[in-house]
Amino acid sequence: MRGSRKSTSAIFEGMSWSDARDLLRLWREDNERKSQDVVNLWETILSKNIFKLGDERLLVLEQVCLASLDTNRLDIADKCLQSLAAEFPSSLRVRKLQALKLETLEKYDEALELLDSIIKRDETNAAPRKRRVAILRAKGKHSEAIKELTDYLKKFMSDQEGWQELCDLYLLEQDYARAAFCMEELILHNPHNHLIHQRYADIRYTQGGFENIELARAHYSLAFKLNPSSIRALYGIFLCATNIAVSPKATSPKRKEATKLANWVIKELSKRQERQNVEDSQVAALEGLISSVQLAASA
Amino acid sequence: MAELLLDSQIRVWVFLPIVVITFLVGVVRHYVSILLASQKKVELQQVQDSQVMIRSHKLRENGKYIPKQSFLMRRHFFNNEETGYFKTQKRAAVSQNPMTDPSMMTDMLKGNVTNVLPMIMIGGWINWMFSGFVTTKVPFPLTLRFKPMLQRGIELVSLDAAWVSSASWYFLNVFGLRSIYTLVLGENNAADQTRHMQDQMSGAAMAMPPDPKAAFKAEWEALEICDHHWALTNIENDLMGLSAPTADSMYHQNKMD
Amino acid sequence: MAGRVKTKLDKSGEMLAYGEAAVRNNAAILEYCRTSMAALSGATAGLLGLTGFYGFGFYVFAVIGLWCLILFKAGAHWEKYFISRRALLTSGFFGGLFTYVLFWTFLYGMVHVY
Repeated sequence: MRGSRKSTSAIFEGMSWSDARDLLRLWREDNERKSQDVVNLWETILSKNIFKLGDERLLVLEQVCLASLDTNRLDIADKCLQSLAAEFPSSLRVRKLQALKLETLEKYDEALELLDSIIKRDETNAAPRKRRVAILRAKGKHSEAIKELTDYLKKFMSDQEGWQELCDLYLLEQDYARAAFCMEELILHNPHNHLIHQRYADIRYTQGGFENIELARAHYSLAFKLNPSSIRALYGIFLCATNIAVSPKATSPKRKEATKLANWVIKELSKRQERQNVEDSQVAALEGLISSVQLAASA
Repeated sequence: MAELLLDSQIRVWVFLPIVVITFLVGVVRHYVSILLASQKKVELQQVQDSQVMIRSHKLRENGKYIPKQSFLMRRHFFNNEETGYFKTQKRAAVSQNPMTDPSMMTDMLKGNVTNVLPMIMIGGWINWMFSGFVTTKVPFPLTLRFKPMLQRGIELVSLDAAWVSSASWYFLNVFGLRSIYTLVLGENNAADQTRHMQDQMSGAAMAMPPDPKAAFKAEWEALEICDHHWALTNIENDLMGLSAPTADSMYHQNKMD
Repeated sequence: MAGRVKTKLDKSGEMLAYGEAAVRNNAAILEYCRTSMAALSGATAGLLGLTGFYGFGFYVFAVIGLWCLILFKAGAHWEKYFISRRALLTSGFFGGLFTYVLFWTFLYGMVHVY
């Protein structure tokens, strides 16, 4: 770990400040976390060239501040916060960062107070409300976090992140029926995302019961259709199909169908296995070639 | 064709200045409108309403991917006669009169100040300053019908329709330079940034139809007639390649809407 | 962004999905190319002193040329980037024409009228 960090910062050293800026911009736009890299970039290149950035400086400061909180570099975070607060003394965005810093220091009550003051100033601001939930979760108060989050989702009904978090929380509490509801909400927003279908199927399968497993089979199938390289979905289909095939509730045509499906999955899996084997044997052949070359060289 | 010889001083003192002035005025107007743009204040109630609308819309659009029972449960939540969201949430009908809403008034005023006013002022000024010049000739023949359009300010019957007067040259510039503005101002500048902001905020700040009551009613109706056809009925057979692809039934609603 | 997705069916009944953000980005870049092309070809036509139908012919030539260049740039897998090849040619034809005529007239006036 240590070594890899060092090597990335070594890569960054040769970069010009404009390349670094472009890289940070890319990460910002794609919402990539990469906190360690951001902090490294900041330390090696950008902190010296901060005034060359123009107006983008402030966005970069915000990004670096978040990243440094993430990596527990409070010295950098303090510097960023100071210059941001000097620029925007009454900004809610800066206050949110300050609340985040309090969270990093585990001063949760103060952070909550600060967040409440932000919500009071701007009721439509979703971020501080979500932070409140995050604080509750960090404190381990899952049921309270769920309550807070459901209140939030009553107001912001189409917030996908919110539904996803709620699903996680319900899973922690092992309330699968409600978690499934949250996943359905995500499916409604993103019907073409195979991961969501797969997860929904996982939840339904875990719930158990004949109908749920049939449902899981359908969603695993869709996940596999959307992403034909997903072995997990394929395996899920197989598990569901075998489960249905031996279930006492299933009618005989359904059992037959399920057996057929299971056989198809096995065929599909073995096809993949073979392909993998071929690739592996090619790799092995290459490796053999290399070792023979080495032998020849040493001889 | 009778050739006209134009004084080259006209080129330097009339023809070029009009192009430059129109272009620069466009640039200035762009930045002034950024300066004047105000953050719209949104009420929590409006945010909630717009999010409900999005959710219900998604339910209609993608409801076919979730099981029938789940679909009915959600529709029940929105549409139930006694407890449904669209039935119980009463929103006051908003009056459409902009005069009662001062913020809308100022918005309208700003729109006028940045768009219409400079156009009239600069147009009038150019008409006064450079009146009566024949500035240029379009390089293609035109019929007589174009004469009043292209030769505003010059009343010469015998002049060929291809010649352009100064006032008309100004208007040609105003319309023709529009796409050039997007070329010059549209890349990596403030306008671009605001577009990004909108993308991020689209959930919260999506423009709510001005009258939530009517919008709720329309959404209620649309949801009421929305049937549930489960898209995954035949998916396993489809996967195994046994039946004809049901892709038609699955995806027709999404086709390029 | 976890982008919204557009889908369409191709001839074999296979479903294709397009990321909406990507489609919008491509459209913006195309618009940029088109406007530049219209302005540059208009300026060229003006400098060459083309008149009448030769000028309009030059515009059509430039549009088709740009289309070929874009398809060449996209390579064999143009379906990956664009929804329809024909729309690539025809969309923005008249909007570009306006810019073209303006630049054509401007440089023709500058060079050949006076």
